[in-house]
Amino acid sequence: MRNEGLWYSVTVRDRHGKVVSRERRKSRSMLGNWYRLLYAQMSFLSCSLVGTNGMDRGATWNQDNWKFQASANEDYIGIVVGTGTTAVTIDDYKLNTQIMHGTGSGQLRHLICTPGTPSVAGSNCDFLTSRVFLNNSGGSITMRESGIYSRCKGPTYYSYACIVRDVFGTPQAVPDGGSITIDYTLRVTA
Amino acid sequence: MTKGQERKKQPKKALKKTGRVLKPELSYKVEVTDKDGRVIQREEGPSRSYVRQWNEIFQLQAGAVASGGVVKDTSGATQTGAYRSSRSFHCDAGIGYDRTGLRVGKDSTPVSISDYALGSPLAEGASIDQVEHQLTYFTGPLVVGSTLSFTIQRSMVNHSGTPISGVQEIGAYIEFTAAMYGRVALGFRDVLGSPFSIPDGGAITVTYTLKVTA
Repeated sequence: MRNEGLWYSVTVRDRHGKVVSRERRKSRSMLGNWYRLLYAQMSFLSCSLVGTNGMDRGATWNQDNWKFQASANEDYIGIVVGTGTTAVTIDDYKLNTQIMHGTGSGQLRHLICTPGTPSVAGSNCDFLTSRVFLNNSGGSITMRESGIYSRCKGPTYYSYACIVRDVFGTPQAVPDGGSITIDYTLRVTA
Repeated sequence: MTKGQERKKQPKKALKKTGRVLKPELSYKVEVTDKDGRVIQREEGPSRSYVRQWNEIFQLQAGAVASGGVVKDTSGATQTGAYRSSRSFHCDAGIGYDRTGLRVGKDSTPVSISDYALGSPLAEGASIDQVEHQLTYFTGPLVVGSTLSFTIQRSMVNHSGTPISGVQEIGAYIEFTAAMYGRVALGFRDVLGSPFSIPDGGAITVTYTLKVTA
């Protein structure tokens, strides 16, 4: 019986807002770091955790753990996207090849990332988080992976942890002037 | 060889590298021991039952909610001023403390997404239908092969003088913060396949395993 799951959907629009591509599927990856944060919060103990910078700064209980609400322009927190295709593994600590914020070649403008309010329907409780990325780079950009970077706190330092990573079933090309929207839905089912 | 046989012999289409799925799982094990420590009853299986408060508290953290979060506590009161906190999900309960941590009860009502407490939890003590709650104990997190897991375990001892029968529900009471520290919500609940009986001097031990596998 699966009682907790994560789904994602990807929607690509052209410069006129017309949907040109869409993918929706079960997420392949609440990573080990998701559970390391959960362990720290539940137990009030610390554990090892490798942040997105590749350094093990650990995890301990803190009010900032799991925060992935992000402001516009912030590419180090919230839903993130990339071009990498490496298969997901449990100890992934960052995207394979992240696309950074900007309007230069191969860059995307990152808009806000706001976790929604959980809603109950039937025996499910869903919790949706979305982010839109705009392509004003002057050329097409093809995305192949997405994930979630969250704030976390170790015994000494704050850092950022990759807690989710997915490789798309189909590469998603975003035309210049277009956008890509990533939705992640965390569902628990009784 | 017929065409049908040829089709059967063709290798299955290889899964793409992206086809690997990480599976989050919650499972439980319940054991009852007699006064000599001998296991006399056991059940284990997959948990069915995170409940809505789990996601609601998670949203407080993910959204960095500073005020106005809504979470129902174990008394049934809806707390409308919930916010993110270092104590969210905390269930590291000490000896004799039955407000948080793993709990057991006697209700057998099926789990609903809107459950906010065990139906009939056993209270702390040594009187009729009371148990002495031991430490809530954590192990891990450990990576073995492609699996990361950690466990939460708690034993509850029956010193009431008589057996306690009809124990059929287990669950986790976790903390959140609203107006003050130490609010408590139900995080997950399971109804056991058959009722358990704890003899006088015996104990019931509940172990939950949280696991994700690549």
